Amino acid sequence: MSEHNQGLDFSTVIASTVHDMKNSLAMLMQAQAQWLARLPEPERLTQEQGVIDFEFAHLNTMLVQLLGLYKLGVNQLPLQPDYHELDDFIEAQLACHQEVFSSRGIVATYEVDPLSPLGFFDRELVASVLANCINNAIRHARHALLITVQDEAGQTVLTINDDGNGYPAQMIERQDEYVQGINQSSGSTGLGLYFAGRIAELHQRNGVRGRTRIANGGPLGGGLFSLYLP
Amino acid sequence: MLAYHQKSFLIVDDFSDFRSSVRSMLRELGVKDVDTADSGEQALRMCSQKRYDFILQDYHLGDGKKNGQQVLEDLMVEKLISHESVFLMVTAESSQAMVLSALEHEPDAYLTKPFNRSGLAQRLERLEQRKTLLKPILQALDRGKPLEVLNACIALCKQDPRYGPLCLRYRADALRDMNQNEALERLYNQILADRPLPWAYVGLGRLHFKRGQVLQAKEIYEKALKAFPMMPALYDGMAEVLVIENDSKGAQRVLEEAVRLSPLAVRRQAQLGKLAMANEDFETASRAYRQAVSQGAQSRFKDAESNLGLAHALISKGSEKGLDTRTRLEINTTLSAVAKENPSDPGLQIRARLMKATSLLLNDAETAEKLTEQALLRLEGMEQFMSPEAAMLVAKQLQMLGQDKAGATMLKNCAEIYGDDPVVMQGIAKLTDDPAILSSSNAAAELNREGVRVYKSGNLPEARILFRRALTMQPKNISIALNMAQSLLHGTDTSVASAELDECRGCLKMVGLMPDTDARYSRYQKLKIKAFGE
Repeated sequence: MSEHNQGLDFSTVIASTVHDMKNSLAMLMQAQAQWLARLPEPERLTQEQGVIDFEFAHLNTMLVQLLGLYKLGVNQLPLQPDYHELDDFIEAQLACHQEVFSSRGIVATYEVDPLSPLGFFDRELVASVLANCINNAIRHARHALLITVQDEAGQTVLTINDDGNGYPAQMIERQDEYVQGINQSSGSTGLGLYFAGRIAELHQRNGVRGRTRIANGGPLGGGLFSLYLP
Repeated sequence: MLAYHQKSFLIVDDFSDFRSSVRSMLRELGVKDVDTADSGEQALRMCSQKRYDFILQDYHLGDGKKNGQQVLEDLMVEKLISHESVFLMVTAESSQAMVLSALEHEPDAYLTKPFNRSGLAQRLERLEQRKTLLKPILQALDRGKPLEVLNACIALCKQDPRYGPLCLRYRADALRDMNQNEALERLYNQILADRPLPWAYVGLGRLHFKRGQVLQAKEIYEKALKAFPMMPALYDGMAEVLVIENDSKGAQRVLEEAVRLSPLAVRRQAQLGKLAMANEDFETASRAYRQAVSQGAQSRFKDAESNLGLAHALISKGSEKGLDTRTRLEINTTLSAVAKENPSDPGLQIRARLMKATSLLLNDAETAEKLTEQALLRLEGMEQFMSPEAAMLVAKQLQMLGQDKAGATMLKNCAEIYGDDPVVMQGIAKLTDDPAILSSSNAAAELNREGVRVYKSGNLPEARILFRRALTMQPKNISIALNMAQSLLHGTDTSVASAELDECRGCLKMVGLMPDTDARYSRYQKLKIKAFGE
C-alpha cells in the first residue's frame, strides 16, 4: 500500500488522462451519431463520414490499447476467462466497425468451425486484440476481410486475413522481437503486436501459453494474423 | 431475426441524451414498446409493474444513487425479472473492478459505450438466441426448482453436447441448492481439471468450508489466488478460513487486500470493520465501517450494525480528553440514522442510545445520563434476545455509564441464553468476576450434554427428562430449548393436539426471540415449520 502514496508517477498520469480521453471520445462519437441520424441520406454517406468513422474507431482502439498496456505494466490486467460463443464474439467485433466497412466498400466475413462453437478466453482482452487487428486490416485491405476460427489440436486459433499488400518482410522475420517489446520502432503496428502477444501469453493451459503469429498469404493473399489460445 | 415489435424494453440511464439516442436506435430496429427510467429506484418500481424482455442498464447512475450492479441484485433477489429476460449492463468503460464484484449476479452481457445500431442489434439478437437455447433451464430457474434445472441441463447436453460448457454454472448452482455435496465436489473438480474457471474455485472453496473441511478450503483458495489474484471473492473465502483458525490479524490483512481490489462491497467492508475492531485497529475499523455505511445507503445490504460499528470504532479511537467536534458529529449522524430507521426494533434503539451516551460521557454527562435512562427503560420492556456480541457490548457500556446493576443483569441474561457456548462465556468473564454469573450455566449445560448423548443412544423419554430439567434451570437457553423441541417432535404426530406438541410449541416461541443472525436460526425455522405447519 505504502508505495502507492508517494505522489503520482508519469504512467499513472498518462493512464488517467487516457481514461478521460476515452470518455470524451465516447461522448463525441455518440453526439456525432445522433447528429448524423438527423441528416438526410445523401449527406450522411459522404467520404468524409467514412474517414470520421474510421478515425474514431482507430482512436478508440488505440486508447483501449494504451490503457491495457498501462494495466499490464502495473500488473493489473487479470484474466477473467470463461466459455464464449465464438460466432457471437466475432460478430460483435465486426458490428462495431460496420459503418467503416460499408464506407470503404470492404466485405467482412467470418467462418467458425461448427464442431467447436465455444472458446475459452477472456472476452474483453481478446476483444481488444481483435479490434486492433480489424482496425489494422481495414487500413490495408482492398475489398475483403476474413476472420476464421479453427480448432488446432485443442487450441483455438483466431485468424484475421485481408487482401492488402501484407506485412513488410522485415516485420515478419523479426516478429518475435516486436512481441517481446525489443523492437518498437515500427509505431502502432509494432506496439499492437506486443500487446497482442502479452494478452495471448496470459492464456495458459497445462503449461502451454497462448501466442501470436503474423504471415502473408491465406485465402485472401494479404496480411495474416493468428492468435493461438490453448 | 428477432421479432422486435413484440418485445418490451427498458432503458435505464441518468443522461436523457443517451436514453433518447438508444430509444431511437431501438425504434429503427422496429421496437414499439420502449420505457425509460433515469434511476435505479425508478427502474425497480417499473419492473415491479411490468415484465420487460430486455433491460439496458447503465452502470454508473451518479454518486449517491444505486449503481447498475445494485439494481441487478435487487431485481434478482426480489424476483422482479425473469431469468428469461435479457439484462445488458451498459458501461462507459469496462472496468475490471466492476466485473469482478459481479460474481453472484452477473448481467447477461456488458455493452461498452459508445456503441452503434448494428453493435446493439447484434448483441440483442445473440442474447435472445442464447436465452432460447437455454429456455428450459431458465424456466426451471424461475420456478425455483433445482432438480428441474439439472434435468434441463442434461437434456440440453444430450441434444447438443457442444454447448455443455454453457450449462456448467447452472448445474453447479442446482447441486448446491439441493445440498448434493459429493456430486457438487466431483463436478467442481472435473471442471477445474479441464479449465481454471474462477467461479468454480470460489464454489469449491465455499463447499469445503461449509462442510467443515477448513484445510482443504484453504488449499483451494491458495491455489486459486495464484491463478486469479484479482478475484475478491477468493480473498473473502480465505479470510473466513483464517477467522476459523483464530488468525484474525491475517484475516484482516486478506480482507484489506480484497477491499483494495474491489472497494464497492458493503458486506466486505462491514466484515473488515468487524475484524479490525477485534484486532483493536480502530483506524481501519472506522474507515471500513464508514464505507459500509455510505455504500450501504443505496444497497439491499444496508445494516444498522455498520452504523453502530462505526460509532464504536470512533469512540474507541478517541483519547482520554474525549472526542473532537467532528467525530462527535459523525457519531451523532450515524446513530441518529439507526434510531430513525428502526423505530420498531427495541434492541437497536437501546444500543444506539447507549452508544451515544458512551460517546458523550466525557463531554456532556447530562445528556449521557438522559440517554442511559431512556435505554434502561426500553431494556426493561424488551423481550427479544440480542446477539451475544451486542449484549456484551451493552453490558460493558452500562458498566462504563455507572449502571453496574443493569450491566450485571444483562450479563446474567446473556449467560442464560448463550451459556453453552464457551466463547461467549469467555467474553462474559472479561466483564465480570461474579461467580453467580460465571457458573450459572454450568449445571444446565452439563444436563444438556448428557441429554444429547442419551438422545443419540435412542432413549427418547430419558432425553426429554434431561432437557426439561436443564430448561427449568435456564429457560431462555437457545440450544437447550431447541433440543427440547426436537426431542418432543421426535415420534410425535403433529396433526393431533397433544401435551408434547404444546410443550414443543412453547419452547419454540421462546427460541423465536433469538436474532435471525444466529447460526441456529435455520434449525429453529425447520422445527417451527414441523411444529406449527407452514
